[in-house]
Amino acid sequence: MLSAMKRLLYGVVLLVGFLCVPTSCTEEQDFSQIDDLSITPVLASGLFYLESDEATINSGSSGGPFYTREVIFEAFSQDYVAERLLEGTITYEMENTTSKPVRVLIEFLNAGGTVLDMEVLDISAEPSGLVTRDVFYGPGGKSLDILVNTERLRISALNLGDTSSTSPVDNPKIILRSGAEFLFELK
Amino acid sequence: MRIVSRILFFVLLCNLMATAQNKQLLYDFNEIPQSLMVNPGVKTSQKWHAGLPVLSGLAFQAATSGVTVNDLFANDGVDFTTKVRERLLDVMSDKDDFSSTSQIEGITVGFRGRNRPDTYYSFGMYGEMDIISYWPKDLAILAFEGNGGTNIGRSFDLGDLNLRGEMVNVFHFGINKKIDNSLTIGGRAKIYSSIFQFQSIRNSGSFVTRPGQNNVYESAISADMQLQTAGIRGFYDIAEEDTGTTQRDVTSLFTERVLFGGNLGLGLDFGFSYNLNPQTTITGSILDVGFISNTKDVWNYTLSGNTTTEGITVFLPDDIDDVNNDLWQELLDEIEEALPYGENDSGYISWRPVKVYGSVRYDFGEGGRSSVFDNCGCGVNVGGGSNRDYYRNSVGGQLFMIKRPKGIQAALTGFYQRRFGRVLSLKTTYTIDKYTFTNLGLGANLQLGPVNFYVLADNLLSYSNIADSHYASLQFGFNIISWNNN
Repeated sequence: MLSAMKRLLYGVVLLVGFLCVPTSCTEEQDFSQIDDLSITPVLASGLFYLESDEATINSGSSGGPFYTREVIFEAFSQDYVAERLLEGTITYEMENTTSKPVRVLIEFLNAGGTVLDMEVLDISAEPSGLVTRDVFYGPGGKSLDILVNTERLRISALNLGDTSSTSPVDNPKIILRSGAEFLFELK
Repeated sequence: MRIVSRILFFVLLCNLMATAQNKQLLYDFNEIPQSLMVNPGVKTSQKWHAGLPVLSGLAFQAATSGVTVNDLFANDGVDFTTKVRERLLDVMSDKDDFSSTSQIEGITVGFRGRNRPDTYYSFGMYGEMDIISYWPKDLAILAFEGNGGTNIGRSFDLGDLNLRGEMVNVFHFGINKKIDNSLTIGGRAKIYSSIFQFQSIRNSGSFVTRPGQNNVYESAISADMQLQTAGIRGFYDIAEEDTGTTQRDVTSLFTERVLFGGNLGLGLDFGFSYNLNPQTTITGSILDVGFISNTKDVWNYTLSGNTTTEGITVFLPDDIDDVNNDLWQELLDEIEEALPYGENDSGYISWRPVKVYGSVRYDFGEGGRSSVFDNCGCGVNVGGGSNRDYYRNSVGGQLFMIKRPKGIQAALTGFYQRRFGRVLSLKTTYTIDKYTFTNLGLGANLQLGPVNFYVLADNLLSYSNIADSHYASLQFGFNIISWNNN
């Protein structure tokens, strides 16, 4: 019975093939091309935002820090990200409507606390306008190793002016914005 | 069993391709007993029929409304990534789909009532697998291009994720009754024995990265997404165990599910054929009005919530005394809390894809009654010169509609059928639908004594380069048919 069914099945396949094959053909296909697929999205995200009023700035010493903070930052050092990072830019923007110049230091630290890199962002007293800095990482720019080895950020904000003056502007403040836009190789 | 398992393997292989369920060649091709399965009210003339087990009806359909295999994999020297971008990402919309349907008839039997010659009963069992996945356009672009660069400000629609699939074994019993010389009606009851089912069809939400109110960028996500599965986890657990009895365990579970051991459902088919005049007939049918109640082996995933983030934020003086240095992890935790991923085992109802057929047919070209007809014994549905055996030719049109997750898909078919006695009947169709405008099909029904063989093939023009086809369909089968008492 089984062999009869088998013969019958072969007969069907043969007949269907007989009907279809004379007219059917296909161009040469190369399925190994999928290995050549390159997926490299650009991912963007806000990173760090710091805002301070003038009274807080005045509370520190002249020339000294009014804010210092060390935070764990493993956005780039995680294996999945580090292995796929190709290049990218961190953008910093600063605005100052207070009456004194301000310096912001951003230090990139590795797991041992060693400073790998540092960005120094200075901005004059009001009217400062918008100060922008784009820092490129990758070929032709800073080394990606800085980012992939960074596990902490130390952010310090220093008052480079006096500690008593006040800005005539309503609600004076210093603002630091930052964002990253990086190219990743997913495949 | 080996031959059965090989056929099942072939069915699964075919389903790796993709799409529609239209059986325009089979519909109203009443020389083929399986036409009862697409219209329980089709005119029947045989005394009884029996399909050869497993070989009475095999149907495979694969389709894509967008990119073809050839578009991507032709050995044309074009960079593959460029082809993906230009022929897939830039062209396909979220309405395009990949789909696959296959049916394999296990048993089919039909017989005319001994004391009710106007009534034809049929019953049987068939397995069906149906999978459809719409092209998740926005998610594909997000993966390929990312949320940065020119996509800043672009809202990605998470509702583009839309797919459904199932494998069921169907037990059915149908009654076809000739009311008078003009009208034949029929109905079929079905019990669905589900092997597995999954669906993710009511997703909504968006993801956007744009210039922030405070920071350089802010990313906002709003999601209400769910993937429902039933019958999957049992197979997954067997595969995970990897005990060396995997094949036996899978076969055992599969057999159990085929024979009412899994989730069950009910369905109905209805149909009719009505002669407007001796040469003009209209027909209609509605199939798979039914559902499956998924309560066993349910495993659902959910992602629901909304959040907006601009990164780590520090506001002075409010945060001056905050000494926590794990702000980045806190940020990730906040996002996860606002957008919780969950699992549950809540049962759900899955609706079968309802299908509707309609047709109008005009018969012409009197063939007279040859010796072949004299021997057909098809008196029960013959009368007043209105039977199709009396005419050599038929021409007409058919409409097909199917309920899909993103709405109703329709297909329009024109056909011509030519009969060469009772031995041979040919039907050719031209069909337009979302997959192709150049679908020419050809079907043949061969009757050698009691042995019936049919083969129906679609989209013949694509056979010049099958890899470039948007649609391919093939059905064939063997039956034993009797018109007489012998």
